[in-house]
Amino acid sequence: MRPIRDDLHSGTPCTLANIAGLLAVLLMLWTSESMALPTFNRQTGQNCLACHAGGQYPELTPYGRLFKLTGYTMGERTLPFSAMAVVSDSKVSNTSKSDDPKADFQKNNSLIFATGSVFAAGKITDNIGAFLQVTYDNYASQSDDGNFHGHSGADNMDIRYADRSIDATHDWIWGVSANNNPSISDVWNSAPAWMQYVPVPSPTSSRFIDGTTPYPGIAAGGNIAGITAYFYWNQTLYIEAGGYRTAKGPASFMSAGVAEGDKTKLKGTNPYWRATLTHEWGPHNFMVGTTGMVADVFDDPLDTSDPNSVHHFRDIGIDAQYQYLLDPHTFTVQAAYMRDHHRVPGFLADQPVDDVNGNALSNTNASDNTNVFRAKGSYIWQAKYGTSLAFFNQTGTKDSVLYDPTRVGGNVSSSPAVRGWTTEVFWTPVQYLRLGVQYTVYDKYNGASHNYDGFGRNASDNNSLFFYVWGAY
Amino acid sequence: MNKQRTILFVALASLAAGCANEPRSRDTANPNVSGETLAMQVCSNCHGASGTANSPNFPNLAAQQEAYLIAQLSEFRSHSRQDPVGYEYMWGLSHHMTDKQINELAAHFAAQKPLRQAVEGKSEHIEAGKAIFIAGVAAKGIPPCASCHGAQAEGNGKFPRLAGQHIDYLVKQLAVFQRSNDRPEGSLMKTVAHELTRENIENVAAYLQAMPNL
Repeated sequence: MRPIRDDLHSGTPCTLANIAGLLAVLLMLWTSESMALPTFNRQTGQNCLACHAGGQYPELTPYGRLFKLTGYTMGERTLPFSAMAVVSDSKVSNTSKSDDPKADFQKNNSLIFATGSVFAAGKITDNIGAFLQVTYDNYASQSDDGNFHGHSGADNMDIRYADRSIDATHDWIWGVSANNNPSISDVWNSAPAWMQYVPVPSPTSSRFIDGTTPYPGIAAGGNIAGITAYFYWNQTLYIEAGGYRTAKGPASFMSAGVAEGDKTKLKGTNPYWRATLTHEWGPHNFMVGTTGMVADVFDDPLDTSDPNSVHHFRDIGIDAQYQYLLDPHTFTVQAAYMRDHHRVPGFLADQPVDDVNGNALSNTNASDNTNVFRAKGSYIWQAKYGTSLAFFNQTGTKDSVLYDPTRVGGNVSSSPAVRGWTTEVFWTPVQYLRLGVQYTVYDKYNGASHNYDGFGRNASDNNSLFFYVWGAY
Repeated sequence: MNKQRTILFVALASLAAGCANEPRSRDTANPNVSGETLAMQVCSNCHGASGTANSPNFPNLAAQQEAYLIAQLSEFRSHSRQDPVGYEYMWGLSHHMTDKQINELAAHFAAQKPLRQAVEGKSEHIEAGKAIFIAGVAAKGIPPCASCHGAQAEGNGKFPRLAGQHIDYLVKQLAVFQRSNDRPEGSLMKTVAHELTRENIENVAAYLQAMPNL
């Protein structure tokens, strides 16, 4: 057995010149136009299904998790560019209960090029690797003339240093990740950043598809900057902890392209933690874990002068997943529960609200709790033909701040409750392409099954069909 | 653009030269990384650090015949072994392997002691498989497995060790021999396996997997 202490001193140390080289590479990755698009599977030379369960990206296999935890450094260094695009068609069940269907259901039942991403990802040195995603939203904004305009911005970003000491008796993986989204560094698909896997198109016809339903997420969300440290012991115990701050200064690239008014501005350093227990036996593997973050988010990203004008979020979640992987079968089950405690800034608490008839409702709350549970099971045969079924249920404190007497998007119960199911079938004819059809059924929306908006719209009117073609190269 | 390329090249070369960590590298294209290191940092992800694979998708390699391992790695590298698990998992990883690395990897796994794993098959299958292993199927002209793979299925040179191997892996590889030409180095097995029924294959695989426990 090789002592860990000796291992720690066995590598050649990086010099300042090397670090400068690393920064130059990162700069190049950021600025140059991609001409060739090798991906992780080119780096390892392996098929996508080696790392993605049944080829169902992004869900990782045990092997894929080790690839990521060791810093994307396994394999050979290649030109690390890749691209992804989503073409989709969303159709809302009932578009008649609306004052302005063209605005409420933009591009309904129309095939659109929704989003495209460019990745700079892969091995940089024996210990350093990166996963940098920039996404173009073809429908990011709409001008007064009704035309849509595209926009690009930083998406998921994870740059990490990792090392591993392993022999027949022990296995330690440890590393540090600089990333822009709490849990993007995670390797389990039940983590907040990964459970939602098909990008959501921006036109409002997609406002009810599965990707917009409640997911057990971290309230602080993306486009922030954090550093987390982690270790994975004997492929059994995983611990990660770190802190997040506003993406500014040298870390501002982590929110590049995001409008100033849309950025998440954090007060100070905000802690994030993650712990999991994992076990693999035969073709089975199981994980149970917990995630949490406490964050102070400024109410107005354009005015952070008052330290008291922050929303205080405390998110604590538990999650679990099971995978059965034995060619030609892939069967996975995930479940996650997140409890979010939200304390609003003092000036937003205890505010009077009147209903549509001018009658006073309860004053707004000083704090709310929101609970989201989600479970999903999927089966894939031959890494080609797949189906999944998901259940989601959001409950929480009634708060008059949620009262909104408008058609389609409104809420007259002041309850955040949403409940429903999504089923999907998909086909992966080649490993770079997936065609899928999802159908999302609502049992409850904005607190009610019937007349949730006060204008006769029922939860089931929001049932949505979503077809997508997802290609990556 | 040429200037950008030059900067990129110099930066990458600088990184490659200065930040190598060969004693714990996962670089499959660096000839200076030892086979021992690759076995631990790369191969162990599927085949286990002890050479015993958790998942039956991947074969156990502990105590495997050195000559067999050298032959297989060489054939993955040259793409002459073309069965799905071969090209999906092994072509890329073996692409840049040097003969020295292949020899070191083979020696590493051959020297490992196999861990005893739980019996995967049912007793009736194991019994039926034992008969095929020892005596073959005379009526179909199928020779006993033991005649090439050894009385304890320990293997012999390029004939692999089969004892303790996962049932699922054995069944799928026998199907590869039987139904395809994806493993040309195993053409002898195509003849041997040709007349085996699905039941024969499952039985003999159950026996082989259970052998270390019997």
